[in-house]
Amino acid sequence: MKTVESALHKIQVVDVTKRFDADALGLPPVLDRITLDVAENEFLVLLGRSGCGKTTLLNIIAGLERASSGSVRVDAAAVSRPGGGKGMVFQQGALFPWLTAQQNVEFAARNRGVPAAERRALAQELLALVGLAGAEAKYPFELSGGMQQRVAIARALALDPHILLMDEPFGALDELTRIEMQNELLRVWAARRKTVVFVTHSISEALVLADRIVVLAPRPGRIVLERRIDLPRPRRRTDARLLALYDDIWGALQ
Amino acid sequence: MMRRWRDVLYPVVVIGVILAAWQAGSELGWLRRVQFPPPSQLVQTLYQLVQEGYPEGIRLWAHLGITVERILLGYFAAIAIAIPLGLAIGWFRTLDHLTEPVIAFCRSVATLSLLPLAIVWFGTGEASKIFLIGYGCFWVMLSNVIAAVKLVDPVLIRAARTMDTDRLRLFTRVALPAALPRMFAGARVALGVGFMVIVGAEMIGTIHGLGALIMEARTFYRTDITMVGMFVIGALGFAIAVGLRRLEMRLLPWQDREAGRSQ
Repeated sequence: MKTVESALHKIQVVDVTKRFDADALGLPPVLDRITLDVAENEFLVLLGRSGCGKTTLLNIIAGLERASSGSVRVDAAAVSRPGGGKGMVFQQGALFPWLTAQQNVEFAARNRGVPAAERRALAQELLALVGLAGAEAKYPFELSGGMQQRVAIARALALDPHILLMDEPFGALDELTRIEMQNELLRVWAARRKTVVFVTHSISEALVLADRIVVLAPRPGRIVLERRIDLPRPRRRTDARLLALYDDIWGALQ
Repeated sequence: MMRRWRDVLYPVVVIGVILAAWQAGSELGWLRRVQFPPPSQLVQTLYQLVQEGYPEGIRLWAHLGITVERILLGYFAAIAIAIPLGLAIGWFRTLDHLTEPVIAFCRSVATLSLLPLAIVWFGTGEASKIFLIGYGCFWVMLSNVIAAVKLVDPVLIRAARTMDTDRLRLFTRVALPAALPRMFAGARVALGVGFMVIVGAEMIGTIHGLGALIMEARTFYRTDITMVGMFVIGALGFAIAVGLRRLEMRLLPWQDREAGRSQ
């Protein structure tokens, strides 16, 4: 039965608690016994206010931070370190400023041993996929915030990851660019199916993107609501069913 | 393009006004010539220093040459040692903890207070001068290199780790390039220190060099020579700093220059 379960659950978060050292003073934990499964190729959104521990949870799944107790499994194997097919996109892009867009994407491919010629072709293909054909030779400082995030997505895809972890990737963008990027991400995701865990504090962003929304509340960080959204994409932001969900979620966040 | 124009024009106008006021103040008798020789006299003195030299026979170029040589020897020796050492200390936390108090102390010692010691250790020849310049540059460069590595944006390291970057490449391909701009800034500051130390370092046992020229002039109340020497050192330091900046822009074309300008 174990094999069936791991096929269903790409990521398993079991009883994860996280305390920081400073919390020894009796403060509630950042994350309190979180249990959560993510199915293969599911688009899961972690939604919550600042300080609810959603980024911490993402970092623990990524292997960048350790849980104080509990465990995270990917394909039934415990996560102990970053990498290994878990691509990540950060809020501010985290591109290497000394590398061009092309070189940034190639950097990711290089570490998994893709030969130089293939790397070049792969990077061009991925940059084209995120709508940046022609910008290969640009340095990050020459790109707008939205374009930087496109490069960051292309770079994460160059790892050929099976999981894509996204930490408020559009949080620093203006509203219009943000909507564009959400559509872009869905387009890219349709072309390259991955299991996605996406962190945000925007309810409308969650509604447009997610197969399932998990709402976290702070102090102690815990799951207060879970909603599946079975509507086809692209979704109209003004769809009545989404608006009803919006109220549900807003209620849970109060 | 407009901006370029202003970048050149404004300083020229400001300096021109200062010089004119200075000259006028001198002509009108508001400034004493011994204290503030007028620009016209400084130009004459400069001409004399180039043609005849001071003390007799040692021309300005000779002073300049020897000073540049001393600064560059001390400076590059300091940088060559400080870079690898600083990279190691910045990267390995234990090394940083171990060395931090020593570096903080050595950095705080005013370089010229070591002058008597430098003479005892290295004599009054070239070695003691180069040592003093090197000492001043070294600690500044070292602490800047350490800071450059420690202040590398942690999100870059995290991003690299999510891409399965091994520890060696994490250093050579991420931390090192990320630290370069701050290292360049450190190199510029260190050079400035070299120029501050040089006059003092050339006070001992020599009549060659711009510092020695200034000290010699002092003995005979040749304020004009002191000032010319001062300006030549300033111009030299400025020229080298501009050169370093050019080199930096060439080597690190990925830096946001507009952002750099406003900082």
